Amino acid sequence: MTIRLSVVPRAAPPPALRIGVPFASLLAAGVVGGSILVIAGNSPLDAYETMFDASLNGLRPLMRTLTLATPLILTGLAAAITFRMKIWNIGAEGQLYMGAIAASGLAVALPASSPRPVMLLSILLAGAGAGAVWAGLAAIPKAYLNTDEVITTLMLNFIALSLMNYLIFGSASFWRDSAATFPTGKAIPESAELPVLSHRLHYGVLIAVVSAVVLWWVLRRTSWGFELRTIGDSRKASRYAGMRVGPKVVSVLALSGALAGGAGAIEISGVIKGLDPRAVAAELGFTGIVVAAVARLNPLAVVPVATFLAAIVTSGSSLQRIGIETEIVFLLQGLIFLFVAAGDFFLVNKVILRPRPSPALVDGGEPTDE
Amino acid sequence: MHTDEEPILQIRELTKSFYGVAANNRVSFDLYAGEVHGLLGENGAGKSTLCSILAGLYRPDSGEVALDGDAVTLRSPQDAAHAGIGMVYQHFRLVSSMTVAENMILGLENQSVRLSLRSVETKVAEIAGGYGLEVDPGAYVWQLSVGEQQRVEILRQLLRGARIMILDEPTAVLAPQECDKLFVVVRQMARQGHSVVLVSHKMEEILANTDRVTVLRQGRNAATVATSETSAEELVTMVIGGDHFPEPGRLTARRQDGTAAVLAVSGLRVTGDRGPLAVDGVSFEVRPGQIVGVAGVAGNGQRELQESIAGLRPVSSGSVWIGDRDVTSRSPRSRSRAGLSYVPEDRLGTGLASGLTLEENLVLKSYNEAPYSRWGVLSRRAIASMADKLSAQFDVRGARAKMPVSSMSGGNLQKAVLARELTRPHTVLLAAQPTRGLDLAASAAVRSHILSETAKGRGVLLFSEDLAEITELSDSILVMSQGRIVGSYTPETLDVEELGLLMTGAKVEIE
Repeated sequence: MTIRLSVVPRAAPPPALRIGVPFASLLAAGVVGGSILVIAGNSPLDAYETMFDASLNGLRPLMRTLTLATPLILTGLAAAITFRMKIWNIGAEGQLYMGAIAASGLAVALPASSPRPVMLLSILLAGAGAGAVWAGLAAIPKAYLNTDEVITTLMLNFIALSLMNYLIFGSASFWRDSAATFPTGKAIPESAELPVLSHRLHYGVLIAVVSAVVLWWVLRRTSWGFELRTIGDSRKASRYAGMRVGPKVVSVLALSGALAGGAGAIEISGVIKGLDPRAVAAELGFTGIVVAAVARLNPLAVVPVATFLAAIVTSGSSLQRIGIETEIVFLLQGLIFLFVAAGDFFLVNKVILRPRPSPALVDGGEPTDE
Repeated sequence: MHTDEEPILQIRELTKSFYGVAANNRVSFDLYAGEVHGLLGENGAGKSTLCSILAGLYRPDSGEVALDGDAVTLRSPQDAAHAGIGMVYQHFRLVSSMTVAENMILGLENQSVRLSLRSVETKVAEIAGGYGLEVDPGAYVWQLSVGEQQRVEILRQLLRGARIMILDEPTAVLAPQECDKLFVVVRQMARQGHSVVLVSHKMEEILANTDRVTVLRQGRNAATVATSETSAEELVTMVIGGDHFPEPGRLTARRQDGTAAVLAVSGLRVTGDRGPLAVDGVSFEVRPGQIVGVAGVAGNGQRELQESIAGLRPVSSGSVWIGDRDVTSRSPRSRSRAGLSYVPEDRLGTGLASGLTLEENLVLKSYNEAPYSRWGVLSRRAIASMADKLSAQFDVRGARAKMPVSSMSGGNLQKAVLARELTRPHTVLLAAQPTRGLDLAASAAVRSHILSETAKGRGVLLFSEDLAEITELSDSILVMSQGRIVGSYTPETLDVEELGLLMTGAKVEIE
């Protein structure tokens, strides 16, 4: 008797599973992570309580979580829209750096006495524009020469990182604060800072949430979104329908880059307040890919998913405070990401386990065991 | 004739539902040794579901399959093969870069680690000889014609010990001469004690080659009759039920030589996917009110010709005119605006985007025009009311507003494509295999839509592998073989035998 496993795609996941699967994933991650904590000599219950307290329990932790969720929502949207068209932009990381570079540069260059709205609008647009241009460097060869955007967007990340490091660590550039003993960027003027909502949470979170809602609407209700969905569904059908795929690839990648670049500008303006490469290079772009995947490329779902992942990340440092080693913290975070992402498989597919009689196939005519 | 023996295969009260819709509803079916049993029914009547259950792909919700009187559970294609059930699909499951013998070994169980190709080749030749299946075991599959590939599929099933052979629309892909050869093989298999289930839409085929016929209608048994005791008329009635069978339009010569062409192709050369010229110097004209039929065996440049007319494939030389506009180097959209409507061969994937809803697919070419969108914002109301209207007008059924079209049946998919293409402003219709795989009622509906185009003064370029369809509808017939037009006929000069020979390249017309 052997067990046969078969995987059948579901037409539409039942509502109970939509809720149940993510919780089951969390539970599974908790159990596996807990076992590792026990082996490492820590108490899992203490650890989980600390994580909860640090990320969600109370206004202060919640605001900290939302502050981190802000850029993740934007990078999650950046990944989601290109993935919807089956274009794989994994360059949100670099596009975010370019946005941060442009925004911080402009914030320092403009007169500090500029009115806040003018200042904010300029630096946000500069950030989005820089991200769009950076994505465009990959988009144009993709659209007209069919180069592999996975390679080009990935490589552009390294170039953006090197450029950012060079501006601060490698040269006496305009961005660098010459007065500081340790190399860092010039502080942006107060007029370039996003106003604070509560604790550390700034207005950027509203920009991110509004972007998600707008994007959701654009995808469903505009002819631009219709083209994007059609091209994502079937290249052939979209060409047949007369849609021009090349320009669309460019515009979607540019928008994706603008979202990531905007995230960079918001981080500079709301959190970092100057070009500090160590703070900017926080893998926000790469985490956005996880956000998009777990949100199943739905712009509205990006918001809660980004918030959840942000909660996991923010609680990490508190674990170190109760004596859990950094490596274990990363491992726990990785496990939760992994289980949540893998849980999606069970939403999309049905897994059937059944015994298989060996080797005869005649089994007495009993009703099937489903 | 079989009453004294037990059926080799019995299906009792089989039910299988998908998403709450019963594809098979208490279907019963039996099959005797040495019998050729026709399985007839419209699209969505449940033929494919029944075959898939026998092939071990689906498991029934309830009901029973019995072989030699014993109930069995077919859990996988391997189980079905063990039970002696062989399935030959319309789309062959062959690896084209391998030889015939190598393909034979694929999927065979209990092989030794060292492949003994020589012994397989001997065995293949031996079995092939016994059934009149001429195939060279050492030939590569890509070198074989469609008919030969089909023989390889049949041989493979025989080699695996199939006693029951299910042929799913085996003639859909064959030229007339090859069909005859196939049925010789089918007869030979039956004579040697195999049972053959012949799934088909074609009435003559069923009448000429089967012992009994089972008709399915809307997932249920409509009837099982001895072929010798029935007639085409009776079978048609059983297939479509009480509904009236739509009358196909009468062929009239609608030649209008005086008027300007709505579509003119001249000296067209187009390269195929594999490099060499697929269309080699083709010229013709389509006039208003005229249906020009292009007959030919698949793979002789028809697809490339269609794509280059629609603007989906660049041309090497020559020109394409729609009305008085040279569109040779224009985009698909500008050709469509110039008056071209196109019903592509590949309905789901080209003609329709499978993940979009019916509504969305119906506006696939007009989503960016008023009233369906204004200032780039889609008007849901306008789209929904247009979709309701078109679905009613073209009798598109089985669609749920918010479900992807991929859940619809073939006939309804084609009606959806036609609904969109025929209601948009156009002067010429390019229709490729418009009734392929469709049931009788849907085919008749599609043909009458095509005929009604001529009454509106539009021209039609019709590609079809179904000769009966071409001859029934066309005012002028072109025969395409190896990328060239090798013959042309009018209704008066038509010689079907000769046309069939030209199609297969067996005869080159002497000018």
